[in-house]
Amino acid sequence: MSTSKKIVLKSSDGHIFEVEEAVALQSQTIANMIEDDCVENGIPISNINGEILAKVIAYCKKHVVLPDGDTSSSSKEDLKDWDAEFMNTDQSTLFDLILAANFLNVKDLLDLGCQTVADMITGKTPEEIRTVFNIENDFTPAEVEEIRKENQWAFE
Amino acid sequence: MPNSQLSSKLRSSSKRRRSKSKRQKLVPNQPEPLHQETEEEQEEEEEDEGNGFKLKTSAKHGVQPLGNLYFINKGAVNVRNTGLGNLHVLTDELVLEILALLGAAHLGVLATVTKSLYVFANHEPLWRNLVLEELKGEFFFTGSWKSTYVAAASSHKFESSGESVLKIRDFYSDYLFQSWLCANLEMRQEWLERDNIVRVRGISVEDFITKFEEPNKPVLLEGCLDDWPAVTKWTKEYLTKVSGDVEFAVGPVEMKLENYFRYSDGVTEERPLYLFDPKFAEKVTVLDSEYDVPVYFKEDLFSVLGRERPDYRWIIIGPSGSGSSFHIDPNSTSAWNAVITGSKKWVLFPPDVVPPGVHPSPDGAEVACPVSIMEWFMNFYGDTKNWKKRPVECICRAGEVVFVPNGWWHLVINLEESVAITQNYVSRRNLLNVLEFLKKPNAKELVSGTNDRENLHDKFKKAIEEAYPGTIQDLEKKAEEKRIAEEQKVTFWDAATDSKSGAFKFSF
Repeated sequence: MSTSKKIVLKSSDGHIFEVEEAVALQSQTIANMIEDDCVENGIPISNINGEILAKVIAYCKKHVVLPDGDTSSSSKEDLKDWDAEFMNTDQSTLFDLILAANFLNVKDLLDLGCQTVADMITGKTPEEIRTVFNIENDFTPAEVEEIRKENQWAFE
Repeated sequence: MPNSQLSSKLRSSSKRRRSKSKRQKLVPNQPEPLHQETEEEQEEEEEDEGNGFKLKTSAKHGVQPLGNLYFINKGAVNVRNTGLGNLHVLTDELVLEILALLGAAHLGVLATVTKSLYVFANHEPLWRNLVLEELKGEFFFTGSWKSTYVAAASSHKFESSGESVLKIRDFYSDYLFQSWLCANLEMRQEWLERDNIVRVRGISVEDFITKFEEPNKPVLLEGCLDDWPAVTKWTKEYLTKVSGDVEFAVGPVEMKLENYFRYSDGVTEERPLYLFDPKFAEKVTVLDSEYDVPVYFKEDLFSVLGRERPDYRWIIIGPSGSGSSFHIDPNSTSAWNAVITGSKKWVLFPPDVVPPGVHPSPDGAEVACPVSIMEWFMNFYGDTKNWKKRPVECICRAGEVVFVPNGWWHLVINLEESVAITQNYVSRRNLLNVLEFLKKPNAKELVSGTNDRENLHDKFKKAIEEAYPGTIQDLEKKAEEKRIAEEQKVTFWDAATDSKSGAFKFSF
């Protein structure tokens, strides 16, 4: 068994993470840097802190595709459960994960995060949506009337 | 004569705008951030054609670029953020990515939550996707994608068309502003001025081959379409009539011409749907009889493959603003593009010069031109002014044909509604290149327009051998001779100027 290459990542607050190349490659951003051969001294990730970076790495570890094409030891269902649990967190962390996945270009994690937020919107009334995301209604009564008319079809 | 038609169009459209209430100006050539006068400032100002960008409508919902928040309304609150609550930390693109996952009804509900979500949820590209996914090519365009969807979904039951008309103050977003801007910008005069392509009329086929096809240079040919019935007959009404219920390829869907023209007549967007059909002549056979391949391009070697040949001819119909961003034509073929009605702006770069803003992958399989055509002109066209290797540019009008040599990068934008025909072809001048291209290991991804990509090289070569025995060997021999001659030329001069003796001497 050959020793796989390790990639060193440094978070914005100075935490060091050593990850297997196969894990790191799930980030298209890092994959490009590896291809361009600029990872010798570790990769500084200046806009992601240690807490979030650790989570992203945990996700990538769980979802790594082994060289022989096999996805980790978990079955598809196990992965789904794990993902659901992974997404079961406060909004601040959730949005940070989405931003991190966007920056590092980890497509599956980004899709997962966006779908999670979409699910938080689907099926809710406007008032419920405001409550969930801590939003204050800024329409005047006259505007409310007009907008409601415009989108009446959506409420039927 | 040439410029009068175009400039009067620009003049007349600007006259229309003056009579409308609000006309906005932009400071041109400004890097970040964008700046736009607010409605108050505008109303005080005089119309000034010289400096400003010409715009087709006023900003949807009143979205302003971030520059206004930083420089004009300093300290003002950005309604975008307050209206998103916890979501405000996400970028505009991410918010839209989330909204793209919602069904239409949920999007409609979201629009009533706050002003900010109203703007996001009414983003036209979201509704375009919903229409194309659910209605496919059957949609009845009513002026905007949202109202088109609502009309179809609600069967016209409701009083409101669903059209979003509320003006929102204090919403600042570069992404949304840029998106609206690119949809509404008209081509600036300075982007249209350079017209340096060689124009010829009535040259012989031999001249065309030696002066343009062989050296692989673009040229604009005048007078080739004089005999085409299409030039006088192909109005929208005529085309609609002869096509009847036939559906043409439009982006991801297929549409009847009547429905397509209803859309193209009423639309203003950054990347309009473009009708581009490779089977038009088979679908509506009368069209085949109303045009003819110009004499210069009659040699068409892929024809040896008969029905198994890759796609090779397209009818192209699109509104002002539609077109193709930078690309190289497939299979290493050459092409000609004839404008039947309308006019097109062309920008061409030779094979070895990658246009600014374009990033092809190393194997050429992917050409990433992330910006839309309008964005390219806004952000990259200016770069080409100072380059030594300037692009070839022209405006091609009705009755004219552009020859696109193989391997050349090109970008095309319709300056007005246009109908054109384009064909790709292989002649003997280009045969070896094409065979070389088809032999490549990743031919499967690169080769286009046929179902049988991997075997195309072998099939084609075999068919050529059968139809024109010995041709390939002849061409290879000539190419080899040429290569040797080139090499010897270098050796000759190296030897002739012997640095040691300093004397000029011959050696054979």
